[in-house]
This record gives sequence, C-alpha cells and structure tokens, in this order.
Amino acid sequence: MLAARLTPIFAAAFAVLYLLAEQLNIALVTYHPRIREWGWLTEAPRNGPSMYWYGWLATAFVGACLVCLISLPYTARRMVPTWIGWGVPLATMLAFVFLLRAFFFR
Amino acid sequence: MIVFLLILHGLCSVALLGAVTHQALSVWWPSRKARGLVTSFRAVHGAKFTNGIILLFLATFILGGVIYPPYRLAVRTYLESARLWTVNGSFELKEQFVAISLGMLPFYWHVWRQPLDEALAGARRATVALLCFAVWFGFLTGHVVNNVRGIF
Repeated sequence: MLAARLTPIFAAAFAVLYLLAEQLNIALVTYHPRIREWGWLTEAPRNGPSMYWYGWLATAFVGACLVCLISLPYTARRMVPTWIGWGVPLATMLAFVFLLRAFFFR
Repeated sequence: MIVFLLILHGLCSVALLGAVTHQALSVWWPSRKARGLVTSFRAVHGAKFTNGIILLFLATFILGGVIYPPYRLAVRTYLESARLWTVNGSFELKEQFVAISLGMLPFYWHVWRQPLDEALAGARRATVALLCFAVWFGFLTGHVVNNVRGIF
C-alpha cells in the first residue's frame, strides 16, 4: 500500500529537510511583514525584519515530496522501516533543542 | 481582527490539547472501566480522535501562521529588546516543534487509521506521544508569550 510505503519516508524527509532549511536558511519564499510583501527564495530584509519560516516549510514540503517520488521504486522492492516515521522527527526535535540551547544559557 | 484570530487560535489549541491528551492517555495508560473522572478520561477509543486531531492541528497551525507576522513585528522585537531570551527561545522551539509535527501528520494518520494494525501499535504510541508533547509545549509557550506581551 502506497501510504505504508511513503508516509514514514515523508515524515523523516520533511523533518531533516526542515532542519537543513532552517540552519542553512534555504527558503522558497520570504515574507516582509512591515511592508506586507512576498519574495521568491531567501531575500535580505526590506524595511524591517523578514520572515523565512513559511519558506522553510515550503522547502521542506517540496523536498519531502521529491524524496518520496525518488524513493518510490526502492520502496516497491524493500520494506520501509516504520520507526523512521517517528524516530527521525524525534531526533530532529532533540537536535533543535541542542541548536537553540544558547537562548536558555545566557 | 488579529485579536479575534489570536483568540480563535487559542480556542482551537485548547480543543486540540484535549483531544490529543485523550488519545495519548488511551494508549499509554489505558483503562477498560470508566468509573471516575480520570479513568473515564483514559477509557476512550483513541482512534476515533484521529481525524479530529488532524483537522484541529491544521486549523490551529494555519491560524498561528496568519497571526505570526504581527508577533514578529510587535512581540519578538519587544522580547529581544527586553532581553527575555528564555521566552524568545521557547517560542523558537515551539515554531520548530510544530513544523516537524506538521510533516509527521500523514504518517500519524496512516498508523492511526481504522481498522488498527497491530503491527503499528508501537508507532501509534510514539507518534501520539510526540504530537501530544509538541501541542502541550506549543500551548504553554504561546500562553506565556501572550502573558508577557500580547498582540495588539
């Protein structure tokens, strides 16, 4: 069944790609809240702060869809381990706790 | 309008909190008999909450995304200038936890789909625990941030 094959891969890929997008600041779109304008890819701030969170989500979503598409032939031959669907997101959450620790130890 | 959306975001998150906690306790601390308040809370059919949890998560997430720009302009700048690093960092963590949970939703839907697959019992426990943690963390952080400085 397609959902059994692809959903654990999507969850794992989304988490890893989101972490990479956030750390490397790879955003598909940028929002400039003060002037209420959108821009493509990662843009420098324009007249106020810029927001990349929507762009990171879009990067992770598109990337995870591509990973699922690429892994489709592989999953037809081999069983995808179910634990990656929750284990990788859990590891990513822990990685964020580590990466953002500076906020809590100032 | 933003205040209305913020309140709606909070109300959706309360409903989500209740649903996901029901489901988490039904698998981590199950009860067969619904005698008192606590046992009744645990003695629910967890799988029946799945679609509701997904819909509430999406609604709360979208509303949070809509009210995020006013937060970025008015609240975060205040948190930075007031050097409230723990509050600011907690919101940063919330942002990342809910994003990762969003990506996990299709897998969560798959493992909780009825009829329940016994082979996926462990995945069900793990996914609902992660989702429950992210929702509780997000709710408490949002509540504290709103107490420090609300959107206006």
